[in-house]
Amino acid sequence: MNARIESEPGPVKNRTTVERKSDREVVVTRTINGPARIVFEAFTKAELLKRWWVPKSMGMTLLSCEVDARVGGKYRLVFDHGGPEPAAFFGTYVEVQPYSRLAWTNEEGGEGGAVTTVTFEEKGGKTLVVLRESYPSKEALDAAGTGAADAMVETFDQLDELLVALGESSGQ
Amino acid sequence: MTLTGMKKHVGVLEQAGLVTTKKIGRVRTCQLGPRRLEEETMWLERYRQRWDERFDELDKVVEELTRKEKSDERKNRK
Repeated sequence: MNARIESEPGPVKNRTTVERKSDREVVVTRTINGPARIVFEAFTKAELLKRWWVPKSMGMTLLSCEVDARVGGKYRLVFDHGGPEPAAFFGTYVEVQPYSRLAWTNEEGGEGGAVTTVTFEEKGGKTLVVLRESYPSKEALDAAGTGAADAMVETFDQLDELLVALGESSGQ
Repeated sequence: MTLTGMKKHVGVLEQAGLVTTKKIGRVRTCQLGPRRLEEETMWLERYRQRWDERFDELDKVVEELTRKEKSDERKNRK
């Protein structure tokens, strides 16, 4: 399967493309308007990561964010998704090459977790980000897909409520 | 399209679970498989939207930091 979907090209906004490279791999690409050094920092510094990793439209709030971006270092993100218990996403950094390459494991799902590899390639002051999620098996990828889809439907039910709360808490 | 070409195309679809085929005598019959193309497309589109929203936010953060850095450089040169 090699389906490919692209977003509509906007006047300023860069396009995000997603491609299912194989049974076990999905690749996301996007150009970010800034140098690789700053994009890399936004991925590896907790105070920056937490500003963009959870967009409001996801219907989740980030409760805590810990990042130790060194080989063998851990990260841990805890979300309130409207359910009774908060959800934690965590793993270990396996590759850290400043400004060019980053890889981490996703351990919250046990053995079916993906390895995420991100490369940063600077061109003319902009950075091409290529993010690859590799699952151990086709079944693991499919499971992650449907799980995420179900979670989305669930959170959409609570989205209105959450958007109001988020609007109030951002104080605008 | 040649028969060999057709076989190859059907083979790829079959591998992806989008069609199943059955050969009876000299005739191979194809039908839609367990996995539906719409489901596949929906899954990818949801996935893409999630990352698109995330990267839109990243763009804002990076643009802000880049602007800040440039203005700091200007200040330092004065």
